[in-house]
Amino acid sequence: MKGVLPCLGGLLFAGAAFAQDLPVGDLDAGRKVAGQCRTCHGLNGFARIPIAPHIGGEPAEYLAAQLQAFRDGTRAHEMMTVVASGLSDAAIADVSAWYAQHQVTATLFADEADAPEGCVSCHGAHGIALIEGVPNLAGETNIYIATQLKDFRGGKRTHEVMSSISADLSDDDIRALADWFAAIELDIESND
Amino acid sequence: MHKFLSSVAVATLMSGMAFAQSADAPDNLEKLSNFQSTGVTEFTFIEQTGDYADGIKANLEQITMPPGFKIELYAVVPDARSIAVGPQGVVTFVGTRKDKVWSVTDRNKDRIADEVKDFAPSLTFTIPNGPCFSDDGFLYIAEQNRVLLFPAAEFFYESPDVAAFNLIAEGDLIPAEEESFNHSARVCRVGPDDKIYLSLGQPFNVAPPEKLDLYTEYGMGGIIRLNRDGSDREVYTYGVRNSVGHDFHPVTGELWWTDNQVDGMGDDIPPGELNRQTAAGQHFGAPWYGGGTVRVSDHGYDKMEVPVEVTMPVVETVAHAADLGMSFYTGNMFPAQYKNAIFSAQHGSWNRTEPVGARVMVTFIDEEGNATMEPFAEGWLDANGEYLGRPMDVAQLRDGSIIVSDDLAGALYRISYGE
Repeated sequence: MKGVLPCLGGLLFAGAAFAQDLPVGDLDAGRKVAGQCRTCHGLNGFARIPIAPHIGGEPAEYLAAQLQAFRDGTRAHEMMTVVASGLSDAAIADVSAWYAQHQVTATLFADEADAPEGCVSCHGAHGIALIEGVPNLAGETNIYIATQLKDFRGGKRTHEVMSSISADLSDDDIRALADWFAAIELDIESND
Repeated sequence: MHKFLSSVAVATLMSGMAFAQSADAPDNLEKLSNFQSTGVTEFTFIEQTGDYADGIKANLEQITMPPGFKIELYAVVPDARSIAVGPQGVVTFVGTRKDKVWSVTDRNKDRIADEVKDFAPSLTFTIPNGPCFSDDGFLYIAEQNRVLLFPAAEFFYESPDVAAFNLIAEGDLIPAEEESFNHSARVCRVGPDDKIYLSLGQPFNVAPPEKLDLYTEYGMGGIIRLNRDGSDREVYTYGVRNSVGHDFHPVTGELWWTDNQVDGMGDDIPPGELNRQTAAGQHFGAPWYGGGTVRVSDHGYDKMEVPVEVTMPVVETVAHAADLGMSFYTGNMFPAQYKNAIFSAQHGSWNRTEPVGARVMVTFIDEEGNATMEPFAEGWLDANGEYLGRPMDVAQLRDGSIIVSDDLAGALYRISYGE
């Protein structure tokens, strides 16, 4: 089974390509843009409200791809659609670079052997992504993770891997996966 | 290549799903409904003293109020949202936007809580934002897509296993495909007619036209009411965007409620709202109006003729301040001018250039029904535009003091007069 993982990584890398047309992000400029984000996501990317994910230390290409998706309407959210509609390509690159440069540490209290097998090859047993372009899930609110999986399952959000992975999950499966990653303690430190 | 890998990913996942529950096993709600034990014996207790509590107390020194009022830390309650005070004064329940409901007990009656623990730990809650009590001691908890009923909750809560029943079963409150995380913080109150009133946000900034028929049918973007046995559900209020606070006037019995208005139209429009409803079925303008008399351009709503008769708000509040939980004041502790006034929480803006809100407001209503709102307790927004706390709801204790929930600090505050 392990043999397929590099291929899976390659697929995801290719899947993240639409975020590559952006300019190189500038950290100082990104810190300023993050002033619009901090009430919900925190200036260091540790979320201040349950509905918002922790974004500190997420891969820049993942963050940029999501902001572009909110801006072009392929991903929708009552708050993020409004925020992203006002961001230029440069602002997206800058703010993605700002949040991506933070260091994350995940502490697992459960037995790693019990980690949800279907998720760990990409998202890791600790909820820290093992391959490029994949988000960390450690410490996200369980209902945030569950909402995303249900959105993938129902087609509100699409991704070439996640859409098929979520297709056959029951609500109970989803809650169990979400509870696993939500129970992991996440620390975020800034590099600046 | 692409297809092959997706199949592999699914196969990996299917083999990993062994932990999924058997469909035959009764879930814990079913056991509790049959007065059976779930086997869950552990509570989660929240530490009430120490550095974290001291930090909150230090922040409260920044809070300003009219002379004679005092604010203190009542309890550390993580993610504290809407509040329901038990009618016997034994316990206060506090909802969250996560998966816990907290029970808060002041055992020695020194007006500071001594114990905070999770309520009904065997149950799996999803956004249990909205607890409310009937006068005869039934606790209702409104979640994202379910409402549970707990008889004699003030008695049973001391045990991990409580009596629990579906009032509205999972998936019957709204269509599952319309679930969202953000506008799903339900608020619940039992009205003077002994019916349950539930606010149902709709999951958009501005609901698109093709959704309106469905939302009107379910009362999404509205407030619904139903009997306490779950029967006769009907939509009581139309044209709401996302209301997260309502209460009944203690004298007139009319429903008053706050509403959060449209984002993305600039810093200063549209205004937030405090509304007064005088009859069942009134329409308050969303989505044709974005707040007050401001029309919404999304989906071309401003070009359409408004197809309903619209009731305008009685108070227009500062744009984006996020007016949330509210309660009429009926106590005797505060000066007479506060009798039958509304205390409400402004959670604070999230994307305004200059943040506003994060304060407790008071609304005085004169004999003609004219309402004027002014700040009552403020100081949670510091000089750097950073939030020290975000008030979310206000409730009255039996001694006439009020408690305020704060879901950023994770706390309940108690405001008293003359102590």
